[in-house]
Amino acid sequence: MVVPSFGLLAQSILSGIFLGGMYGLVGLGLGLSWGLQRQINLTHFGFVFLSAYLCYQGATVWGVDPLLSLIIVIPVFFGIGVVMQWALARFRISAFNSLLVTFGLTVVIESLIQYVWTADFRKLHSAYGEIKFTVFGLYVPLPEFLAFVVSATLAVGIWALLRHSDLGKALRAMAEDAPIASAFGVNERAISLLLSGTCIALAGIAGAMFALTYTLTPTQIFSWVGVVFAAVMLGGLGNPLGPLLAGMIIGVSEAIAMTLFAPSWAPIVSFSLLILMLLFRPART
Amino acid sequence: MNPKVLGVIVAAGAALACLPWLGVPAFYKSFFYLLFHWVVLAVSWNILSGYTGYFSFGHGAFFGAGIYVTAFCAVKLGWPFLATLPAAAAVAAALGVGLGAIVFRVSAVRGELFALLTLAVTFVLATIILNTPIDGGPGIYLLGVNLPKLGPSPNASIYLMGLATATATVLIAYLVYVSKFGAGLFAIHDDEDVAEVMGVPTYRFKLLAFALSCALAGIAGGIHAIFISYITVSEVFSITVPLSVVLMSALGGSRHWIGPAIGAIVITCLLFFFTAGDSAVIGRALFGLILVLVILFMPQGIVGMIVAKWSALFRSSAFDTEIEHPRPATTAPTAPPVPRFDSTKTLLRVEGLSKSFSGVKALQDVTLGIRQGEILGLVGPNGSGKSTFINVVSGHFPADRGHIVFEGREMAGLEAHDRAKAGIARTYQIPRPFAQMTVLDNVALACMYGVSGLSRPAARREAEVHLHFAGLWSRRLAMPDDLNLHQRKFLELARALAARPKLLMLDEVLSGLTPTEIEGAIAMIARIRDQGTTIVFVEHIMRAVTALADRIVVLNHGAVIAEGRAEIVMNDLGVRTAYLGAAHA
Amino acid sequence: MLEVRSLGVSYGAAPALSGIDLAVGTGELVSVVGPNGAGKTTLINALAGLIAAEGGQILLEGRDVTGLSSHLICEAGLAIVPESRRLFGNMTVLENLELGSYLPRAKIHRAESLERVIALFPAIKEKLQARAGSLSGGQQQMVAIGRALMARPKLLLLDEPSLGLAPAIVIAMFGAIRDINAAGMSVLLIEQNVAIAMEIARRAYVLEEGRIVMSGAAADLMDRPEVRKAYLGIT
Repeated sequence: MVVPSFGLLAQSILSGIFLGGMYGLVGLGLGLSWGLQRQINLTHFGFVFLSAYLCYQGATVWGVDPLLSLIIVIPVFFGIGVVMQWALARFRISAFNSLLVTFGLTVVIESLIQYVWTADFRKLHSAYGEIKFTVFGLYVPLPEFLAFVVSATLAVGIWALLRHSDLGKALRAMAEDAPIASAFGVNERAISLLLSGTCIALAGIAGAMFALTYTLTPTQIFSWVGVVFAAVMLGGLGNPLGPLLAGMIIGVSEAIAMTLFAPSWAPIVSFSLLILMLLFRPART
Repeated sequence: MNPKVLGVIVAAGAALACLPWLGVPAFYKSFFYLLFHWVVLAVSWNILSGYTGYFSFGHGAFFGAGIYVTAFCAVKLGWPFLATLPAAAAVAAALGVGLGAIVFRVSAVRGELFALLTLAVTFVLATIILNTPIDGGPGIYLLGVNLPKLGPSPNASIYLMGLATATATVLIAYLVYVSKFGAGLFAIHDDEDVAEVMGVPTYRFKLLAFALSCALAGIAGGIHAIFISYITVSEVFSITVPLSVVLMSALGGSRHWIGPAIGAIVITCLLFFFTAGDSAVIGRALFGLILVLVILFMPQGIVGMIVAKWSALFRSSAFDTEIEHPRPATTAPTAPPVPRFDSTKTLLRVEGLSKSFSGVKALQDVTLGIRQGEILGLVGPNGSGKSTFINVVSGHFPADRGHIVFEGREMAGLEAHDRAKAGIARTYQIPRPFAQMTVLDNVALACMYGVSGLSRPAARREAEVHLHFAGLWSRRLAMPDDLNLHQRKFLELARALAARPKLLMLDEVLSGLTPTEIEGAIAMIARIRDQGTTIVFVEHIMRAVTALADRIVVLNHGAVIAEGRAEIVMNDLGVRTAYLGAAHA
Repeated sequence: MLEVRSLGVSYGAAPALSGIDLAVGTGELVSVVGPNGAGKTTLINALAGLIAAEGGQILLEGRDVTGLSSHLICEAGLAIVPESRRLFGNMTVLENLELGSYLPRAKIHRAESLERVIALFPAIKEKLQARAGSLSGGQQQMVAIGRALMARPKLLLLDEPSLGLAPAIVIAMFGAIRDINAAGMSVLLIEQNVAIAMEIARRAYVLEEGRIVMSGAAADLMDRPEVRKAYLGIT
């Protein structure tokens, strides 16, 4: 174990916070759909990566600014989400079987990504990537910062929407007791489609941010699954702020663990936190 | 258990064992080895996940653990190869049991949560192995390891080891499937809470199935290590194994012992078309797609479909909605039953029993005694706590406070399955049969795990007796879904009786029945008591209560407000007010 | 206001309701009583569109609403107070009430409706920010009725409002229901507590085993020996 300097520790905590922001962004749509619709949609991860690769492609081959590509990504992904939900509802599959089906679909997406872009590492080089600024002696790279801002804004925005708007109340009521919510005028089907579309659109946004910040490789998809699920479960299902806050805790813990021990011990952190939570507060989920 | 099946499995194994000496090219030996490899993985996975319904996405972790134990012990510790295999099995099993011991205790972790947790385990294990001297990064070469000489060539030896493991795994899967243990596992699959209340020690059984599943995966890993001879963390712990076993079992049929093996054979043959380079990726995409299609269109798998078509032939011929008249013929009970209870012996004594749900007091300080051989009616308006009483005494929910003393033993701390063994049984107001078992198997389960604890064949024979008693014998091979409400209620009854309880608690068993059916049920309940079982029954239908009950206890808002003989209690003003309101009492 | 003709509902092969004919006139309070398992809740759920009916017709103010999904039936003017309240326990009382007026046509009158509900049940006022699941049974029942009123229905359906409530609270509750009816609301009340159901209703139906077996003026039905026997087992 190496005792780090204060500066190093502070920098790694900052990275941890940014990492947590990313976990929160990826987990946002996932947690909403799990908490409000009782659906664990693993394709969420597939779409995050698909969006990331598409943004990479757009930037590298056509010189399109990744943020601009969101203009296309968001509506297209929204549409995909709607269609997927429509199909799942049509087949009336059980919650667990939807896990299996979305698992299968995720594998398909991941394989297609690998087929098109190969397993080589891909890095999106953008203008954003070059900018760093310094705050109190700490380096703040722009892409990470931007991703964090987007994550926090979306999380807070959606939280406010759920809390205060009629639509938000309808969603929460549907999550608790869909038939009765419907009996008071909530159009369950339409809102369900809207929610799913939004969740996949959120995945699209997360993908763009992901592309800005990280090097891409297809097999990473499944390793992110574990951590993000941990963040969602720890943060509480259906709570948009949950994955962000829990993600930050996990991110900071991982960063500290990485600085004190070795970088590759990170996955243990989230898993251990999860097991601890299950042991001591099992009712949370 | 059918000895013919055992014979076929062993014969197939023996026949395949001759292959290496037939001069078959090495290519085929490798292909068959892969077949055996996947059969072991899929079938072993299914012992936990298919039988109990706890789908694990982490089979790769235990398989990987086995690979690394063998690699580490053989290369870095210099053990002889065969010695590493038991170690691989033991370590994998220990990992599984360790995880299960924590996770199975938490009742919220079922279904999706368990699947995700096990997926996470894979990456955790990969990280640990990558960062410690077990691998450290560069991978491990096993080329220098000495293979035991089992066949004419090293290739053949690997083939034979794979064959032996596959045969053993299939045998084990079959033996579990037909055993009492297996029946318990399938009960857990259909309704874990009910299984527990009926006497199945669910926690222990899940751990055992998990341990078995992991141990077999560990051995498969050990052998595979020497097959591929160079292992790296990223290859071993990739998503391929978890995905494949789920797919193979889903395709073949996860509810049957041979399903996963069939799925493994089909998929491995398909896989053969995509063995190299780019095609491996397409192959994976195809796997994912097949999984999606199978779940959407063929969720019960190949074997499941065959079995369903087969048994449909039997079921459709007898759509019988009647309950047979049990022997002797029923007559309406005009005279009240002769009280035969032994008023000196208290079978169950409840003291100060209290239970709240989120602030609502369902039971408040309930104190009462139930005497051996009596029929006690438990009545009260809706929401007065009657079902909660049954749930708490049977162990479905723990009590907040109070004592439950059954035959002199304190029950309050005991798990539900121990109470079932002690002789407490109950029916559910809305019948909860094990949906994927036949009527006969539903009842047989109670014979196996109730007071008498019979073996599976004996339990099936005894179940028929109880089915005769309940008038359901002709429907014994039907599935619960095919029964009407009346028949399902009587199935509940038969199942509770099959446990040979000393105390039987009936929860609104008559609701929803027509007047004629009610008459028959009343007669049956009287006969049950005559055979020596003490009965507590919750009912709204007053004429049944007055006809059957020796004593009545009236609950209102979770508290006892009256107790005594039926006519006296029902004429009590307080009771009538509770039911009818002051103006008309 | 409400006309039901030959309504039937089945669960699989077993018929839960068959040949139900009943009517509620505008401004009337009609009760449906019957033993457990008779099909009372099934009836209400079918009327509210929560379960599908097979056969028969449901007419609300002359408009055929048979087979419509429940959010459209709410739009047509029907609001339900479900059995065991079924409030949204994790949401506040105020949010529950606001959800009641989710429909656009109810939303514009939200503030006014809220005032009326508080006037009817003053005890709700201090609990507005409380989590609905933390309220007592009686308080929850008040909120459930309030929630239905917020939808500004033409017909109010109540499913066993007395369930699990102490007698004193039941009396207060039914006083409120009577007031609501007096103000012009048509009400269909399903109850197991025969006495009180008959007291406040003008007309009543008795439901047994999925069929209407008796109907008529409430006061007459109450004194019939069959009714007393069914509920007490003694005459």
